[in-house]
Amino acid sequence: MMKQENLTLLSEFLHKRENIEPARVTPEASLEELKIDSLLLLELLFEFEDKLGVTMPHDITPPKTVGDLLAIVDGLRVGKDA
Amino acid sequence: MASARRVAVTGLGLVNPFGGDLADFFGRMLRGESAIRLFTREDKATRPLAVPAVRCASFDAEAALGRSLPFTMDRYSQLGTTAALSAWLDAGLPRTKDAPRNDWGVSWGTALGGTLTFESGYMDLLRNGRERVPPLSVVLGMSNAAASHISIQLGLGASSTTYTVACASSAVAIGEVLSKIRSGEATLMVVGGSEAPLSYGVVRAWEAMRVLAGGDETSAARACRPFSSDRQGLVLGEGAGAMILEDWDHAVGRGARIYAEFAGYGSTSDHDHLVRPNVEGQMRAMRMAIQDGGLTPDEIDYINAHGTATREGDPIEIAAIRGVFGPRSDAVAVSATKSMHGHMLGATGVIEAIITVMSLASQEAPPTAHLDEVDRDCTGVRHITGGPLRGSLRAALSNSFAFGGSNTVLAFRAAH
Repeated sequence: MMKQENLTLLSEFLHKRENIEPARVTPEASLEELKIDSLLLLELLFEFEDKLGVTMPHDITPPKTVGDLLAIVDGLRVGKDA
Repeated sequence: MASARRVAVTGLGLVNPFGGDLADFFGRMLRGESAIRLFTREDKATRPLAVPAVRCASFDAEAALGRSLPFTMDRYSQLGTTAALSAWLDAGLPRTKDAPRNDWGVSWGTALGGTLTFESGYMDLLRNGRERVPPLSVVLGMSNAAASHISIQLGLGASSTTYTVACASSAVAIGEVLSKIRSGEATLMVVGGSEAPLSYGVVRAWEAMRVLAGGDETSAARACRPFSSDRQGLVLGEGAGAMILEDWDHAVGRGARIYAEFAGYGSTSDHDHLVRPNVEGQMRAMRMAIQDGGLTPDEIDYINAHGTATREGDPIEIAAIRGVFGPRSDAVAVSATKSMHGHMLGATGVIEAIITVMSLASQEAPPTAHLDEVDRDCTGVRHITGGPLRGSLRAALSNSFAFGGSNTVLAFRAAH
């Protein structure tokens, strides 16, 4: 079950940064179609790490959809300093 | 031997502290108007800072570049890309990426690159106790980032290079493309430079060298007084400038407005001392630019001096000018516009080159501001003071002499 707050965090970030309509940020949406390139993905991961106090492992499979990305984030244990 | 192609200046753009366009900026230069203000900075992390400086306070990156792009740029790239887009528009060039532009390129200058990014990263690591920095730190901070952004935005497929030659960076970036266009290797080049040096650490470093002019709220505007008997040093500034340099026939073919001809380039090294300038090295650079441009010293009617207002530097430049122009020195008009726009380090060469080109195009050259009494060791040339010089200006030089002993001189010829 996807955590709604992580989807909200993602859509808020994309709205602020790229002016992407939150309605377009659905689990099925492809990152490529949202024009999330490798640099923006790095920033997204950083944002999640910062806001949630988690650490992304180095060996993650590059996500293709919003759902892929959120599955990675949802699966991480929240750190002590969150 | 086939004759080399001539090089036309067909577009000018800048981001300047007055916040207006090129015509507004140049008008203020002609009137001797200073952009220097007291720059203050105070936060919990650092000791209070108050020093005369030049800031582009009204610059709005989002308005100039859109929502997303500024996030991927240090301020020096934001200023630089904005100046380049402005020069592009000024040259009447279309913003389409469809046409192949593999013989169009960019040549940029910056002395410090993304120094604000570095400082913020160090603050996070060393002061705030974090163990990581934002993921774009590398691509924000790198010194060729501005050039890269410009070539991406404008679809330029020829070389994209960046020169770091301290205070001559953008003058070198301009000069080095002359042979590329003459030879036909490139048809059109976007050239210039940008600098955003007002980080806490950079200002403190310049203070430590004891070359910064002091001042308060009231006196800051007059803080930089090149060639004056009471000069007291330089003023740091941020800004950016860009020119479109183009194969002359190409420019004529597309009906472009030609501001001036970029005629000659001189580049020498003092091979002498890290910071003390050298008369002979500067003379060689001026002579080289004049000769390279097919000019004679008699045709040079205006020199935009390096003129930083340091005790040591100004008299050496005047001695070098007198050495090159001999008995005619009295007739050679000279001004140091840093008295108004400050020293923009890697961007200052192009800002002064733009002023030089505008002087030839309008047949009016700006004064050195605040020059009430020429110092005895700076006499012997025709200092422009009080207001603009109007008259027949056939050709002009723009001098840039960098710490490290790199001397760069650009020679421009009036287009008509």
